[in-house]
Amino acid sequence: MAYDLQLSHIGKVYDNGTPAVIDFNLDVDKGEFIAFLGPSGCGKTTTLRMIAGFETITSGDLLIRGSRINDLLPEKRPTSMIFQNYALFPHMNVRQNIRFGLEVKGMAAAEADRKVDRIIDKLGLTDVATMRPNRLSGGQRQRIALARSLVVEPDILLLDEPLGALDANLRKSIQNELKLLQRELGITFVFVTHAQSEALALSDRIVVMNAGRVEQISPPRELYTRPQSLFVSRFIGANTLIPGVVKDLAGEGVTLDTAFGILTGEKHDRLASGDKASLILPAEAVDILPANVAPEEARKTYGTNMIPCQITRAQLIGHILQMGVQLPNGDVIAVEGHADKYRGQFAAGAQAFVAWQAPRSTVIKH
Amino acid sequence: MESRVLKPMLAVYVVAFILFLYGPFFVLWILSFQQGPDGGPQFPITEWSTYWYRQIFGLTPPSRIAPLPVGEALVRSLILAFMTMVTSTVLGVMSAQAFRRKFRGSGFVFYLIVLGMMVPGVLTGLGTSLLANNVFEITRHWYTTAFATHVAYTFPFAFLVMLAILNRFDSSVEEAAWSLGVSPWKTFRKVTFPLIFPGVLSAMLFAFTLSFDEFPRSLFAAGGTEDQTLPLAIYGTFSVEIHPNIFAFGVLTTLFSFALLSVYGILMGLSVRRARKLAMQEEIA
Repeated sequence: MAYDLQLSHIGKVYDNGTPAVIDFNLDVDKGEFIAFLGPSGCGKTTTLRMIAGFETITSGDLLIRGSRINDLLPEKRPTSMIFQNYALFPHMNVRQNIRFGLEVKGMAAAEADRKVDRIIDKLGLTDVATMRPNRLSGGQRQRIALARSLVVEPDILLLDEPLGALDANLRKSIQNELKLLQRELGITFVFVTHAQSEALALSDRIVVMNAGRVEQISPPRELYTRPQSLFVSRFIGANTLIPGVVKDLAGEGVTLDTAFGILTGEKHDRLASGDKASLILPAEAVDILPANVAPEEARKTYGTNMIPCQITRAQLIGHILQMGVQLPNGDVIAVEGHADKYRGQFAAGAQAFVAWQAPRSTVIKH
Repeated sequence: MESRVLKPMLAVYVVAFILFLYGPFFVLWILSFQQGPDGGPQFPITEWSTYWYRQIFGLTPPSRIAPLPVGEALVRSLILAFMTMVTSTVLGVMSAQAFRRKFRGSGFVFYLIVLGMMVPGVLTGLGTSLLANNVFEITRHWYTTAFATHVAYTFPFAFLVMLAILNRFDSSVEEAAWSLGVSPWKTFRKVTFPLIFPGVLSAMLFAFTLSFDEFPRSLFAAGGTEDQTLPLAIYGTFSVEIHPNIFAFGVLTTLFSFALLSVYGILMGLSVRRARKLAMQEEIA
């Protein structure tokens, strides 16, 4: 099938020789919501700007609906971009801002009016249509920017940290609107953010980037439960990393010789016996067992994945019990779970076991 | 404690500064109301009158003092300043726009442009005159050779003003326009230009006023009597004898400058509204 957007071995090297983006590969289906997530300077915005045509592409191919557009000028591309600072035209009122793209395209006035009216109505901007954008709130400006981009009916909407300048409450509500709008219009969205929560809440797939490279492309849940690199495991969610040496690859999982004994996790990389690797343990996978648990029973579920620990903190927040659990090496893991599950048997200072089922952890090569 | 000493000192300093700045003009202004035609360009004022103002406009009976020969020179200077203003501003906007991206040799070109305002005017004037006479063998005129030196002089000012304006300009609005499918040229006309228009006005004001009272370049580059600009014509009258009619003329030109500044201020105020209309009224077919 034809993809809406394809990045094939895309690379960008600045004039001074610094690489900004290295070998970026991604195929995006029509109507998909993709997030580029990563720390600042990781190349996510540069990649977005290459798709928009504001940055030249040093190597690789950029395809929209099957045709190569590497050298197409920004105004000729079927993309439209939403900027972090909204980049509204300060010398035009809201309606003029939104109408601008259609007018310049030479659309008949009546048709342009109809389209502008419809989008103004859809985004709830009717009351402010004749006002200047600089008089309006961040949320309203955000909606104007959306309306202005959507009215020209792009194939792909590019969003550069569009919620970054909004306060937390507003961000939540705009986030929801954005998601609904995207579903309704069926337009492909590519969304750049450094906020995990945004990426996890909005996107169908997340591209995690670091230092110009793609670390992982996964749906949000998988990114959480199955990080594929050490960087991702540190950047996303709350994972505990337990370093060790690969011992046995024969069985279902990989066994790792660690400071806490033999541990087992899901295989990810090509691993060989003797490789240095880490077991990545997501906080959600952790179960806490009381010190007096029947060992034989527990082993049936957890195998050797049991580490003695001490509860350092236990706090009941509603029906959720939050605990701090200290491992023998001094590391503290934050664990939370339903109060019923733990039946109030854990108090600060109590001895216990940290345990997890092998398939819920991953072994990643160093 | 400190401010008790410092503040009065600063106040005195400011007053002295203003006195030095505007003192000469006040003296001029007072002496322009000297009695005529016998009153001279010095204190005391024998009798207050508006004689010299009337004399400039030829409203007094003929006397031994000839009227200022500035009429045609004034027209020439106004036209020259206008031509210079338009040329320098257009060049200034264009070159500053070019400097928004680094290009090979941009540092060199920058100094080449700025050189025009650094080189002493006498040298530029003399050089131009020698070049015209000996190399190209063309006649010097206020609208050819002098015009060229005026542009070389005022263009750097317009360029620097526009450079400062474009430096603070948020280019994401241009990118936003491109990404809506608007061509770079239309983006410049309908987004960039309306937003930098206040800066363009400043550049125009600079170029006009600098050209209007430019002296050393015109002195050499302008040619004979029939090519004299206003500053040259006024200077010419000094060499004979000074009468208060010069002062009256000075006051009038200052008032003209104030009028120009007021127009500039009003235009600045209106520019945003004007720009909005400029961008939206023009329907594109």
